[in-house]
Amino acid sequence: MEIMRLVVTGPVGAGKSTFIRSVSEIEVVDTDRRATDEALLIKKRTTVAFDFGRLQFGPDMALHLYGTPGQSRFDFMWDILIQKAHAYILLVAAHRPHEFREARRIMMFMQQRSPVPMIIGLTHTDCPNAWDAANIALALGYPNPNRRPPLVTVNANETASVAQAVIALVQHTWSGSLATT
Amino acid sequence: MTVTGYLADFSLPELFQLLEQGNKTGLLTICTLTDTLTAERFNHHIWFSQGQIVAAGNALDQRGLMRLIAQRGWMGDNAVSRLAQTCQINTPLGLCLKNQGVLTAEQLKLLFYTQVMRQVCALFALPDGWFQFDPKAPTPRAEMTGLIATATDVTLAGLRALKDWNALAEKLPDPSSALVSTVEGKPSLRLNPNEWQVWEFTNGTMALADVAKQLNLPVAKAQQIAFRLIVTGLAEEMPLMATPPTSSANLIDPESLELGVASTTSSGAAPVSNSFLQNLVGFLKGKV
Ligand SMILES: Nc1nc2c(ncn2[C@@H]2O[C@H](COP(=O)(O)OP(=O)(O)OP(=O)(O)O)[C@@H](O)[C@H]2O)c(=O)[nH]1
Ligand SMILES: [Mg+2]
Repeated sequence: MEIMRLVVTGPVGAGKSTFIRSVSEIEVVDTDRRATDEALLIKKRTTVAFDFGRLQFGPDMALHLYGTPGQSRFDFMWDILIQKAHAYILLVAAHRPHEFREARRIMMFMQQRSPVPMIIGLTHTDCPNAWDAANIALALGYPNPNRRPPLVTVNANETASVAQAVIALVQHTWSGSLATT
Repeated sequence: MTVTGYLADFSLPELFQLLEQGNKTGLLTICTLTDTLTAERFNHHIWFSQGQIVAAGNALDQRGLMRLIAQRGWMGDNAVSRLAQTCQINTPLGLCLKNQGVLTAEQLKLLFYTQVMRQVCALFALPDGWFQFDPKAPTPRAEMTGLIATATDVTLAGLRALKDWNALAEKLPDPSSALVSTVEGKPSLRLNPNEWQVWEFTNGTMALADVAKQLNLPVAKAQQIAFRLIVTGLAEEMPLMATPPTSSANLIDPESLELGVASTTSSGAAPVSNSFLQNLVGFLKGKV
């Protein structure tokens, strides 16, 4: 069985669980619990362990998706996952500037632990007060549009939109692997 | 595009960094939230030109700088107004008055200090406020001295002078995080001795709490210094891996999620074939 592993990460409430549910063909392992303290302000339920989703598209080919827990503590679980991942997508809710700094921290952690390709997925761009992509890129520390990871807009609730984002991630990974061989 | 939000979500130092790195031109308005005691609220305006701060004030009547000059007693309100009318449309008022010989370079500096440094630095202590950046607002010649300050310099000065850090507490890097430098070589900013000391540890390995211990600084102080290095673009917060928990019984083990196979190999993901990627993309395109 050939398997590609993608990690879906991002601050609390970015849409990680929903993203994985939208493309997964199995019932996603639900580890959501009532959120504590700070996360409660944003949402009622948060993921406490990793989400897992799976998509089989050939007799011996499958895509595995792992979602990081919401209230992030960077522990050994993260590390195991990151080390095994082929690529990852960082989801950022465009209407929640409060979380941009957390997104940056997660990104720093990921980049330090693993050199694999990443893209940024902007969720909640349909919500009121959503920031535009250029300003979010700036807030994430990418002043130069030519020197940043690909940035896509994704609605985690829509399968087509999520599929599009996964395609972008796979193609980005692909071009990277072609470039290095 | 306009950027709006609350300072409690996106703090003033972060905002300044964004406007500077984005080379933004326009007007930043900060509206304080209604004071519970006096029911008052105030507007503060800061004008940016290509990422740098060119003027500040609390009114949009184009007379703020004239009032400052009058307050100093250097010239009456009316006299400044009359002189201002002879200024070229594109020349900052301050510069124009200097060219006419009515203000000295020193006086301009003093004006700029009062108008920008003093007013803006005070804003870092605001517990919250609503902000809006309007990139279409015209550059206000009548409010400009002709002097400019980089947003970084203002942030650095403002945060160094800040006594009450409550408003920014949530934004500070975690004591368990390290710092990692984001510049090549040494910073070109003029750092103070404490900042230099913390800067020496921007190699992404030592937790801020330990840095504080080494330097004999209170942890909060080290966090504040680290925050200054971050928002002035010199460093980035690097979360360190948490030490293994004593019990993780209530967590789902990722190995039970089909990772078992993979974790037997030491590290890195086994590469997938081109045909795999082609098939996957083809399959996903069917869902779009
Ligand atoms: N309007 C809108 N809602 C979205 C979008 N993406 C996700 N959501 C909603 O955002 C909410 C949070 O999504 P989750 O999938 O629980 O987020 P999460 O990242 O798993 O959250 P944690 O596990 O707590 O970190 C859900 O109600 C989603 O339906 C989007 O693009 N637009
Ligand atoms: Mg979740």
